[in-house]
Amino acid sequence: MLRLGISKVLSGAKIQHVAVVSRAASDIAKKPEKIEVFIDDKSVMVEPGTTVLQAAAQIGVEIPRFCYHERLAVAGNCRMCLVEVEKSPKPVAACAMPVMKGWRIKTDSEMTKRAREGVMEFLLVNHPLDCPICDQGGECDLQDQSMAFGSDRSRFTDIDFSGKRAVEDKDIGPLIKTIMTRCIHCTRCIRFASEVAGVDDLGTTGRGSDMQIGTYVEKFFMSEMSGNVIDLCPVGALTSKPYSFTARPWEIRKVDSIDVLDAVGSNIVVSTRTGEVLRILPRTNEEINEEWLSDKSRFAYDALKRQRLVTPMVKGCDGQLKPVDWEAALLTVAKAMNQAGNKIGAIAGGLTDAEALVSLKDLLNRLGSENLCTEHTFPMDGCATDLRSTYLLNNKIAPVEEADFILLVGANPRLEAPLLNSRIRKGYIHNETDIAVLGPKTDMRYDYEHLGEDPSALNQIASGSHPLAAKLKKAKKPLIIVGADAMARADGGAIRTAAMKLSQELQSNIVDGEWKVLNILHKVAGQVAALDLGYSAGVEKIRNADGIKVLFLLGADEGTISRDDLPKDCFVVYQGHHGDHGASIADAILPGAAYTEKQATYVNTEGRAQQTLVAVTPPGQAKEDWKIIRALSEILGSKLPYDNLDQVRYRLEEVAPHLTRYGAAENANYFKQALAISTMAKGNISNSPLDVKQKKLEDFFMTDAISRASPTMAKCVAAVKKHMESKY
Amino acid sequence: MLSSVRKAGCSLWRGVVAPRSIQTSSALQHDSLFVHRDSAADNPDIKFEFTPDNIKRADAILAIYPEGHKRAAMIPLLDLAQRQQGWLPLSAMHAVADMLKLPRMRVYEVATFYTMFMRKPTGKYHLQVCTTTPCWLRGSDEILETICKNLNMKVGETSKDGMYTISEVECLGACVNAPMVQINDDYYEDLTVQDTEEILSDLKAGKRPRAGPRSGRFAAEPLGEPTSLKGEPTGPGFGVRADL
Amino acid sequence: MAKFLGLDKLGLLIKTIQHYGGIRASLYKLYRMDEVKIGKLVGTDKYGNKYFENPRFFYSRNRWVEYAPKYGMDYDGSQVPAEWYGWLHYKTDLLPMNDPSRPKYKWMADHTENRSGFPEQYTPYSTTTPKIEAWKPTKQ
Repeated sequence: MLRLGISKVLSGAKIQHVAVVSRAASDIAKKPEKIEVFIDDKSVMVEPGTTVLQAAAQIGVEIPRFCYHERLAVAGNCRMCLVEVEKSPKPVAACAMPVMKGWRIKTDSEMTKRAREGVMEFLLVNHPLDCPICDQGGECDLQDQSMAFGSDRSRFTDIDFSGKRAVEDKDIGPLIKTIMTRCIHCTRCIRFASEVAGVDDLGTTGRGSDMQIGTYVEKFFMSEMSGNVIDLCPVGALTSKPYSFTARPWEIRKVDSIDVLDAVGSNIVVSTRTGEVLRILPRTNEEINEEWLSDKSRFAYDALKRQRLVTPMVKGCDGQLKPVDWEAALLTVAKAMNQAGNKIGAIAGGLTDAEALVSLKDLLNRLGSENLCTEHTFPMDGCATDLRSTYLLNNKIAPVEEADFILLVGANPRLEAPLLNSRIRKGYIHNETDIAVLGPKTDMRYDYEHLGEDPSALNQIASGSHPLAAKLKKAKKPLIIVGADAMARADGGAIRTAAMKLSQELQSNIVDGEWKVLNILHKVAGQVAALDLGYSAGVEKIRNADGIKVLFLLGADEGTISRDDLPKDCFVVYQGHHGDHGASIADAILPGAAYTEKQATYVNTEGRAQQTLVAVTPPGQAKEDWKIIRALSEILGSKLPYDNLDQVRYRLEEVAPHLTRYGAAENANYFKQALAISTMAKGNISNSPLDVKQKKLEDFFMTDAISRASPTMAKCVAAVKKHMESKY
Repeated sequence: MLSSVRKAGCSLWRGVVAPRSIQTSSALQHDSLFVHRDSAADNPDIKFEFTPDNIKRADAILAIYPEGHKRAAMIPLLDLAQRQQGWLPLSAMHAVADMLKLPRMRVYEVATFYTMFMRKPTGKYHLQVCTTTPCWLRGSDEILETICKNLNMKVGETSKDGMYTISEVECLGACVNAPMVQINDDYYEDLTVQDTEEILSDLKAGKRPRAGPRSGRFAAEPLGEPTSLKGEPTGPGFGVRADL
Repeated sequence: MAKFLGLDKLGLLIKTIQHYGGIRASLYKLYRMDEVKIGKLVGTDKYGNKYFENPRFFYSRNRWVEYAPKYGMDYDGSQVPAEWYGWLHYKTDLLPMNDPSRPKYKWMADHTENRSGFPEQYTPYSTTTPKIEAWKPTKQ
């Protein structure tokens, strides 16, 4: 229903909205002449169709609002943005009214002030006076705006509180707490659910003073980004359940950081108090996550306090892991490594940062071993990963919404990278993007053409024998997004070659020089950095290497390798932050730091290097990962040449300069050459159906060592399963 | 006694000190709920299907609306479902949502917005008594009392045999024929107590009472002779100053 | 005269040494208790501690306890049970067995000495959950 024809969108009143949310729409529309309007007697030139509120924002005049939100459709129902327009008898709603030439808008006049005061008074008539027990207190739009624009005295004399509206609370899952009496009916949550999340579960029922926001029936808000309605809610009606009654905003310290629970690399703010992570909020980054955050990234923080490795451990003579001090642990590990000579292997997990990766690689190379690999498989045949264009989301995340055709191969972006999926959905709604899926049929929250599960369809499309081929060739901005699960197959190399071939063909039709058709979507945050640094993907190398004496697991927790794959006398070292699969098979454990506890570099799936900052100190005796490896190297007698973070980063820069250019995404090139080398590889696409690991929403919540340890995520899984049995 | 004196004093005091204080009425809540509660009569397990006749009607309704705007057929379809069932159970809303390929919530929104969608079991005859000012002045209270006494029910109730539901409603737009009662789709106007009893006994006998005014009027014309506008209509320029 | 020459002190010393059964035994007492003195044995508690009184010494030194030999050098004040504590600290002059008002019930717990500094010492535990829950390796 949201999907409007582009012509209609451009001609209709929705133009202002689309111009903001969709970069594509403004490209297509021809640039009309600007018109002049006056805001508080200051002249401003704006494009026709700009709303009063946007025009005011251009010269820095902020108009108060509750229902208006840049990334959502205009509702115009809170009336807080009323302003006076000269010669207009009534105040107008700034968020919904497009400016006309020569308008004189007064945002500071008596009429405007009185209008705001009146609206505020009516909002407060039915708003409970429970700020002292409200979690939104201190960061509440209603509080702030009633201070700034409300009346300085109350006319509300109903001391018996007989007239205040009361609404019963809704149960919409384990993440969002609802106190519906506080709701001021801005409908932001409804619009978010229906436009961005694509889950039309929220709505308004009833009317007039009996209107309420809710689900009408008992229903869990089945979305992978439901937590964003907490941020959107201008009052305390929707608050975070895990964070409830925990802290006030003025008590907490905020540290800007990066999320590592998926490969998108969303920007986050970590709120801490007394050495505890209290909550995680999104930080606006237009290139990556806009201002949304997936539920896993937002709510899995409680795992940072559970199942932690806090002291080094070494297996005693009775075969049990015993806590020891750092010295003993490092000496034990060093002894085993010295005995092993160059028969050492290392596996890096998905949550590993670039600093730890580079120091581990340097250490093992010094010891004469090249057995360094990542836990997540990626095709290493053909040109392998020598050219970055073969393993990056080359076209970047933000332009995905401009695409007019997206082919998803063996990927489920909704669960693997929810924020990328929100971009696809945005394109689908506002930009007429057509989507086709090769792989299992899953619920992506948009309609798509299902091409079956046979990967050889890629070859058919390339050769033109597939019905989709003509459509794809006509596309001006096509995208092929290949998922990590397709790449992890035995014939992943062949699939990639086919995708490269197809995209090379499509690339020739494209006018936009910056547009890149081939895109790889990773699932874990550490993979791109590991490939950049020259790790080989997949644990096959370790399995095939004979007589590995010491296996170093750097946060490898997916269980891709087990004791049975290793020689009996192999000494397994696990370095990481959570006790999960890796720790359970280890002979020695070196406790590392989680992503909130270290300053570390992560590279997201588009190849953008970003750094996390220290929000809290590592628990117990845990240390930053690169420091552990550096200490170990000294005991081993082959000291790594870096003593502080700057020196490690200097080393990073030597290996791969883009790893220290924080915030920038380095473009990958050499597509043709990559294809040329890639075609030299042998192997054909097998006809086994393409599969993805995460198919249903319940597969979304617990995917790595951190989220598996999170009680909140476990509750989510239980809630989703329970909801599956419900009739609604 | 004392409390009422205090209250009066308070209001007097308030009247002096805060002359513009907001008047809050007592919290009058709607008599129907705006959330769904599963009950024996209304739960998603109850099957609802349009009858073959109604499917034809639904198709005709859907044909009115152009492609891409089929959701506009929601209200007619909900009405169709309500006419079939007598009221609008949750499963009927689901059937309409499936028919329009809409999220269910969008149908709940519409069904809860309009008071003419009955979301709880309603009698075969839905007696809606207008008690807004013109009807009230013309004696709607007696009409309502007669109905309640006759059917031995209170306002808002449905009889046990599922035949009658009495509602008190606001203006139905037939003030000139006050007092009036709407029974299902028919208006019964210019009622007296006697007329009301007659209508009720007709309903009980299974007959369909004659709709319209009961005072002998055809429609809304004056009873007896016209009292105004009796002469010829005046032409243009009537009563205008001579010099214009 | 004998008093003037301090011969009575010497006599007392000899008497004391005799009481303890020789020089060796007396030196052991001196080593264990830092003093050797004789007094009247007024009672023995159920743990084997002996209580003496000798009014020849001035007040506050005229009542003492000789801990049971089983304690060896590891004796301390908390080994004196509550009923003797009062007599030893001059709260009462009545010996516990002579005190009619001393309650005696079956349910009264035995005296326990203070074991601080030993492995079985009492350690208070925290009732709050730790901020960080550490991973515990599963037994293999």
